[in-house]
Amino acid sequence: MAELRTEEFMVNMGPHHPSTHGVCRLILTMDGEKVVAIEPVIGYLHRAIEKICENRTYPQCTPLMDRFEYVTAMASDHVYALAVEKLAGLEVPERAEYLRVIMVELNRIASHLIFWGVTAMDIGAYTPFLYGLREREDIVDLFEITCGQRLTYNYIRIGGVSRDIPPEFVPNCREFLKKMWDKFSDYEGLLNENPIFMVRMKGVGVLTPETAIAYGASGPVLRASGVKYDVRRNDPYSVYDKFDFEIPTQPNGDCYDRFIQRLDEMKESLKIIEQALDGLPDGDIKCKVKPKFKPPEGEVYSRIESARGEMGVYIRSDGTTKPVRLKLRGSSYNHLMLMPEISTDVLIADVVAIFATLDIIMPEVDR
Amino acid sequence: MTRDELKEHILKKYDGLLTPLETGVFDLMFEVKPANLTRVARMLRDDEQLKFDFLNNIAGVDTGEQFEVVYSLSSITNNLRLDFKLVLPYDEAVVDSVKDIWTAADWHEREIWELYGIDINNHDNLKRFLLPDDWDQGFPMRKDWDAPDFVRMPEL
Repeated sequence: MAELRTEEFMVNMGPHHPSTHGVCRLILTMDGEKVVAIEPVIGYLHRAIEKICENRTYPQCTPLMDRFEYVTAMASDHVYALAVEKLAGLEVPERAEYLRVIMVELNRIASHLIFWGVTAMDIGAYTPFLYGLREREDIVDLFEITCGQRLTYNYIRIGGVSRDIPPEFVPNCREFLKKMWDKFSDYEGLLNENPIFMVRMKGVGVLTPETAIAYGASGPVLRASGVKYDVRRNDPYSVYDKFDFEIPTQPNGDCYDRFIQRLDEMKESLKIIEQALDGLPDGDIKCKVKPKFKPPEGEVYSRIESARGEMGVYIRSDGTTKPVRLKLRGSSYNHLMLMPEISTDVLIADVVAIFATLDIIMPEVDR
Repeated sequence: MTRDELKEHILKKYDGLLTPLETGVFDLMFEVKPANLTRVARMLRDDEQLKFDFLNNIAGVDTGEQFEVVYSLSSITNNLRLDFKLVLPYDEAVVDSVKDIWTAADWHEREIWELYGIDINNHDNLKRFLLPDDWDQGFPMRKDWDAPDFVRMPEL
């Protein structure tokens, strides 16, 4: 028999592939079923948020921050508010900081629930998606009674929060926490020991700690590779230094570890919310901010731990009402950058698993 | 190491390479001469007492008078934070790549190249990625660039 002629070929994955979590195109160079090289192509969701902010006053930028990372919009509001407060030296009332922590942590759980469901769905298990969205619904309801919005909250403002929580918030939230603690046995029983799932996830897309740090990976992705680093603990902001919580890590840095990492982090978030509800002080919910708000000249890079990793914002002020420069740093940007590094020589189906467990969302990459 | 100790350490050990600035309102801010960039970057990363192994962010800035490139670093090993910046006149808008030192710089530098038109030396992957492939309307993040339908907001 004559020898078969083989050659590498190109496959376009996306921009509208169902598992790309936004509009991302991956150019795959394939050798049969094996991926030889990946090139991510971004920019399909570029909305020029940074340029638009240069023509807006500081308070007017807050709603745009919701659109920067809409799965955890509370966190992107928070990082922006913190940066402007650092610039202007504002003292935020303690109650506002507690409310912010409660909201951001609830949002983190909501985001991880989506991650949990969507990752399982990308691998081929549909049930977790329904379970995850069911519990997320309770969180979104809590946000709705607080600020009227279900996705882009515009709740955390410069100097505090936009309004106080309604009286039913605390009992409803406690009820949700109790319910959520009971759900973990369901969640863990559903997939964690499933042999098919483990074959698909274990040993796939291994990220070593050195590579993770070099590429600027952060958050659950970094901790799943065994690096114990969390901005909430290592560079405390807001009132996180008052709460007692663990920083879970995993040993291997593969897809399976990144999946388990998010489940572990949800438990820590629940602990933080419980403590914040117990210690919620009375008092004002915002400090006085002048209508013509002008922070003094200066520049600041402020960062927080969002559900996906380190979210940062760099602001340069020249003492006028508008920022000279506002640069947003999303963790998905770095995670997408390291994607080609960890997904060569895998099967095409594993690319989907790796992409899903890095938990990349595209608006954060394109901005 | 506290913020003051860090500042003292840097001033003592890298005298003349990093000049402290007062503009950083929260973390330390230094100015570095563009010619010294790779040298300073390598020293900050390899110094045992600092070990700035994590590049958080690179931000290009057009102040209206000059370009600036702001590097935000942190050390995971020693838990430190520091920013430094380069000041570039409009007619000398070139920086060296720090991709060899922190791989994370790759896309950040590409973005600055694409949106500000600041040239990056020794970068092997300078391709358009945020703008369309056939973009020919200049560098949109520069202060003198406005979209065709742009309306400036009146001063309050």
